[in-house]
Amino acid sequence: MNKRMILRHTKGGIFIHWFNAACWFILLFTGLGLIQNPQLQPLGQWYPNALRAVFGGGGLLIIHLAVAVTWLLVWLVFIIANWSSHVVPFLAQVFTLKPGRDMEWMIKKNLQMTLGYKAMAFFMKPLGLGAKIPDQEYYNAGQKVAAQVMLLGALVLAVTGAIMLRGKYFMTAPLADIAWVQWAITIHYIAAGVTFGILLVHIFMAAIAKEERPAFWSMFSGEVPEEYARHHHKLWYDEVAIKTSDQ
Amino acid sequence: MANQKLAMVIDAPTCLDCKGCLAACKVANNVPDGKWRNWIKGADPERRASSPVVFQPGNCMQCDKPTCVEACPTGATYKNQADGTVVINRTLCIGCGQCLAACPYGARFKNTDLGVADKCDFCAERRKFGLEPACVSTCPTKSRKFGDLNDANSEVAKLLKANRAVRVANEQTRTDPNIYYLGEPGPTNWTVQARMPEAFDFWRRLADPVVKAVVGLSGLGVLAMLGKQLAMPKDAPPADGGAHEEAGHE
Amino acid sequence: MTSSLDQKISRRGFFKLTGAATAAAALGGSDSALKPGAAQAGTRLKPGFESKYTVCDMCFNKCSAIARVVDGKVQKLDPNPKFLKSRGMLCAKGNAGVRQQYDPDRLKYPLLRVGARGEGKWKRLGWDEALDLAAEKMKAIGEKYTRCGFMFMAGADMQSTFIHRFAKAYGSYNTLSHESQCLIAGTRAFLDTFGEVPIPDMLYAKYCLMMGANRFEALVTPDSIDMMTAMKQGMKLVVMDPRYTKTAAKAHEYYPIKPHSDMAVMLAIAHVLIKEGLYDREFVAEKTYGLEQLAKHVEPYTPEWAATESEVPAEVIVKIARELGAAKPAAMIYPGRRSSNYRDSTQVRRAFAIVNALLGNWDRPGGLTAARMVGLGGGVPLEEPFYENNPADRVDAGRATLMFPEEGSFKLARDAVLEANPYPVKGFFCYHSNPMQTVANRAKTARMFDQMEFVMVMDVAMSDTAWMADLVLPSQYYLERLDPCSAQQGSSACACVVMRDPVVKPMFEAKPVFWVMRQLANRLELGEHFNFSVEEFRNAQLKDLPGALEALQKDGVYYNPSKLYGVYEGRIYKTKSQKIELFNQRYADMGLDPMPVYRKPAQPEADQFRLVVGRNAVVTQSSSTSNSLLMEFQPTNHLWINPAAAKGLGIEDGDWVKVASPAGKQWIQAKVTDMTRPDTVYMETGFGVLSPQLAAHGRGACIAQVLVDDFDQISGNMAMHETFVTVSKEAA
Repeated sequence: MNKRMILRHTKGGIFIHWFNAACWFILLFTGLGLIQNPQLQPLGQWYPNALRAVFGGGGLLIIHLAVAVTWLLVWLVFIIANWSSHVVPFLAQVFTLKPGRDMEWMIKKNLQMTLGYKAMAFFMKPLGLGAKIPDQEYYNAGQKVAAQVMLLGALVLAVTGAIMLRGKYFMTAPLADIAWVQWAITIHYIAAGVTFGILLVHIFMAAIAKEERPAFWSMFSGEVPEEYARHHHKLWYDEVAIKTSDQ
Repeated sequence: MANQKLAMVIDAPTCLDCKGCLAACKVANNVPDGKWRNWIKGADPERRASSPVVFQPGNCMQCDKPTCVEACPTGATYKNQADGTVVINRTLCIGCGQCLAACPYGARFKNTDLGVADKCDFCAERRKFGLEPACVSTCPTKSRKFGDLNDANSEVAKLLKANRAVRVANEQTRTDPNIYYLGEPGPTNWTVQARMPEAFDFWRRLADPVVKAVVGLSGLGVLAMLGKQLAMPKDAPPADGGAHEEAGHE
Repeated sequence: MTSSLDQKISRRGFFKLTGAATAAAALGGSDSALKPGAAQAGTRLKPGFESKYTVCDMCFNKCSAIARVVDGKVQKLDPNPKFLKSRGMLCAKGNAGVRQQYDPDRLKYPLLRVGARGEGKWKRLGWDEALDLAAEKMKAIGEKYTRCGFMFMAGADMQSTFIHRFAKAYGSYNTLSHESQCLIAGTRAFLDTFGEVPIPDMLYAKYCLMMGANRFEALVTPDSIDMMTAMKQGMKLVVMDPRYTKTAAKAHEYYPIKPHSDMAVMLAIAHVLIKEGLYDREFVAEKTYGLEQLAKHVEPYTPEWAATESEVPAEVIVKIARELGAAKPAAMIYPGRRSSNYRDSTQVRRAFAIVNALLGNWDRPGGLTAARMVGLGGGVPLEEPFYENNPADRVDAGRATLMFPEEGSFKLARDAVLEANPYPVKGFFCYHSNPMQTVANRAKTARMFDQMEFVMVMDVAMSDTAWMADLVLPSQYYLERLDPCSAQQGSSACACVVMRDPVVKPMFEAKPVFWVMRQLANRLELGEHFNFSVEEFRNAQLKDLPGALEALQKDGVYYNPSKLYGVYEGRIYKTKSQKIELFNQRYADMGLDPMPVYRKPAQPEADQFRLVVGRNAVVTQSSSTSNSLLMEFQPTNHLWINPAAAKGLGIEDGDWVKVASPAGKQWIQAKVTDMTRPDTVYMETGFGVLSPQLAAHGRGACIAQVLVDDFDQISGNMAMHETFVTVSKEAA
């Protein structure tokens, strides 16, 4: 087995990924605990009750707000500092859509991940498609969709969160203005829910799915085996390989 | 110790509309300018030839079925089982104001100094130190009586037992208030229908099921993948190497 | 002068004054410790907070209160439940005392005027400088114009006794109190009927006719509270007032009586009581003097006649008289307090007193009771020095028939000073009183100050009167002070003593007026008259009341129970006939009407209104209108005008209108309401403030500027309601 490694993530990228992961974990954990209304709490009252028993009600809110503000500020610094080196390329990759190929990848990959190659091939046959999963760039179609949703989710969470924060500490207007805050809460919840839905798949893929294991380790080391890159991100690999050979 | 059911029994016809209770409350509770935790309804009466005008003192009714609690997303507002008051945990309040519209009595306001909802709590702080609520102790004619309805020997319990009393309620929103008016209560047409904010309703009716569906579907997918991974540990692409060939076309 | 004061308070004038206001504000400085209570977030009480007795100073009632103190700061004032006179209450104003203590507009150090009078240019002085200057001026004025050339005025304050003492030691007879603005006509009338001023036993009354009083708004303890308790126990309340007050709103019956016709109604009631034999025959025969004369006197005053004068229907007057007769002796005509209304206010109140006497309610439950003495001593005795070159009497002496020499008449003293007749008065010291705001005809008051060589004012804030002074001294607020004891009377509430110990440390350079008087006495070689501390003075007051000091420290109040009813059994009345005088012999001797004679009062012309003034439960004249809490209840005053009258003048609710009288004019927003009669307009006291260093500056209109300064001919009381004004929709 060829164990040559290819650089996939910079140190900055790795940091911001795990920083974000940690923040989101805490924010989700505490945010869900802030909902203590039987009509709204999706997990049941045991969850906020348990959390409040540990952190106290106020502690929960303080942790949530402190982490949220830290998260936002660190991201802002990161974005400004890495605008051209990371942010623009990332956005370009994530939002470069190849509808046909991406769609095909999504269908095939989903079938393959849930039913196996054989079943996937079986279903594809009548459609006149081969069993081959289309080659992918730096991000595969699934990653792109996940990134898009998470990006949008993060943006909505940040904006609605800011409105709520402003509502608590700065708002002086009566009810009319409060409607903004109220909608912000509802949208915050939706955004968090949808983002979490995607996140579940992301976590499974990265941490549990066997075939993506190298990608998981690369989030620590920054590198993936050449073989993995070639197999999973062929188009990117080719690009990198060419660049490497140029040098 | 047995649970209390703190309540006020108000003798509205003896109220002079002197504003003593409003001033006392404002000082005792640091209520910001322009906001009030209590009120006197029917003040500044239109001229009437006869029959004494009744001014109606009031404040948060500490309802047994509080619509404000129903509207609070965080549980910051809750019914205190120990004494029956509806209280606000300021540290948990996110200042969303959903409880404001949900109160049929307009008893709540946004405390702009603190960024939280605010309202009468029967002077919880003063009670902690053995003092009566500020409005009760200051009232010149003692129109406001305060005590524990669960204690048969309390003045309020005795008053309710001995007299006809009414509660002021909104027809559309029955909340089982804990303020009782002896005899003529004065104006009763000022309550409003409790309103759950649209955003709250949207959350409850639509957002919540949608989010649950999204997370549920996603969870199902992950479970399916996990199941497949466990069931077919050796699943591999057909050995035709097609992927590489195709890539070769480019 | 008149026009310039008019201008100052008009809206246009307000902008003119802004420059001065800025200068004054800069001088006043700011202190973060003075943030009003509302700005502090969080809680008020902490474990270990202290509870200290005090005596409220937000009005004259002097209610015992408990201050809750945390870390040396008053957090809350609560009523003292053991204080019977207030029935254990503290009103809105009392509660707002906390805000006054920490009012950022408090005076902080002595200020010397450096600009023109009323211009608002000040220089900060040290206390020594200020006192040296004051002593020097007092000495100079005393030498040049005799000691009576310096006039002293002190409001209803627990240290006012020291100003009177100082004036006596210094040698001036010319002391003034607030009373000639307020109640001396009523005092005179009841004194001249019963030989003393009675306390109404409201708690046990069965029937009360209230005229010329607004007891549910202008709170007087215990009457305001007892009146409600009595009503709950079945007392019937009938109110006659040109204005629909809250007292009227709470009454069983209300009649919008024509102003200045109270005497007509009262004489007609007497007429019915006598004619129908409804008066207390036994009591009247035994204890009163002059029934025969009275019967003859009231013969022509029929209810039908009174109805045409008062617009109260004749059958109502008859009905009330019969109801009073049926409910007697627990039936009363409420004596009232402020009687600064008309030229014949003493006679009007005499009519009240006479009907009470006919009802036989004197010295009986539910009637008028004798004052109960608690036995508080006069403190450290004063050996009054004699000054040979002094004039014979007060400056206002002889200007009204039966003045009270201790109280004087501000109105008549002011006239005398302006005329320099019989002698010039060139120095003025005013403590805890604000004549620029409260005394009718502000322009005249300003003129009086203008002709003074030295005006010194001591107060907690830059009042309008302080604004006119040469030297302004910062007074401690009541919560900071050690005050002498004060005796209080109160029917069933029992006579009692209250006192004040400091609750918090004094702020800034504020001092008690006792200290100032003592310092000045020392500088004027009068130190021997102030050779004691307030504590020693207090001990001297209490020397015949064993256990009183302990009770005061334990309960905040000292009582010594005494007989309430039947006090006059076997006692003579302090009148010429030694009986209750329906017919006043002394009046007859002096050429006054021995019984009230109704003379058709002047009425406003077709384009005029009668201006009446008053207050409510959140206003104590000008001393409370800048309080940040009370201001929320009443940010300004309005001119109440009847819709019919307003329509004729094209005035709509909220319009700015000009109110003009021969005394002056003011601009104010109209409140169009049927709560006042078409011939009567009303405004509250305490607004239209001149001093830009008060929060109420630029709000509403000043009564003193438009009220005409007529006076009650017998007592010298101000007669404010003799004012006819025109009202026009006219921008300032």
